[in-house]
Amino acid sequence: MQISTTRFGTLCVDVDDLIHFPHGIVGFEDCQRWILLADPQNSAVGWMQSAERPATALPVVSPRRFVDSYRVRVTRDQLAGLNLSERDRLYVLCVVGKRDGGYVMNLRAPVLVNLDRRLGCQVITHDDQPLHMALTKPPAPLQKSA
Amino acid sequence: MLVLSRHRDESIMIGDDIVVTIVDIRGDKVRLGIDAPQDIPVHRQEVYEAIRRENRKAGQIQPSETRDIGQ
Repeated sequence: MQISTTRFGTLCVDVDDLIHFPHGIVGFEDCQRWILLADPQNSAVGWMQSAERPATALPVVSPRRFVDSYRVRVTRDQLAGLNLSERDRLYVLCVVGKRDGGYVMNLRAPVLVNLDRRLGCQVITHDDQPLHMALTKPPAPLQKSA
Repeated sequence: MLVLSRHRDESIMIGDDIVVTIVDIRGDKVRLGIDAPQDIPVHRQEVYEAIRRENRKAGQIQPSETRDIGQ
């Protein structure tokens, strides 16, 4: 099928690649079908593109690339819509935002995707994760002193 | 807006399957218990609104801007 997007032009995607969000994303409740795209220039960034609204796309990152210890703390009920079974692969993404001229990610409300069943939801974690975690450069590898 | 008075341990029903119970009242703080079907998300309003704002702002970002993230 074809998806028109304002950022990436017209895309030809396999219907099986669509991810169904039964409740949409917070603030975009009417967008239930999304596709995950790689950023054309930056391998650290992906885009959740709405299949229904050409101008609606959210930049996302994998939070553990930046915060090693990040864990998504939610109740079992919050995951019910993902139909997770033991072998399914769960993908955790955080929405990228802009704040004070820099970029941040929202650790409080990660987007969870069951890659095998193509189901997704945005959950609100019940611990006090920050809404704005700065996306700074990953620390440079330590240089061994001679 | 419908306004109802309730005592501690009393409930209200919303539709057939949502029950909101007054669990405790202390000063100006009320603790609510909410029983709702799994497919109905329940959130604190201010947290939900903050996340909605963040998502909406994220929706304005263009690919040309994200070049430096994590690089």
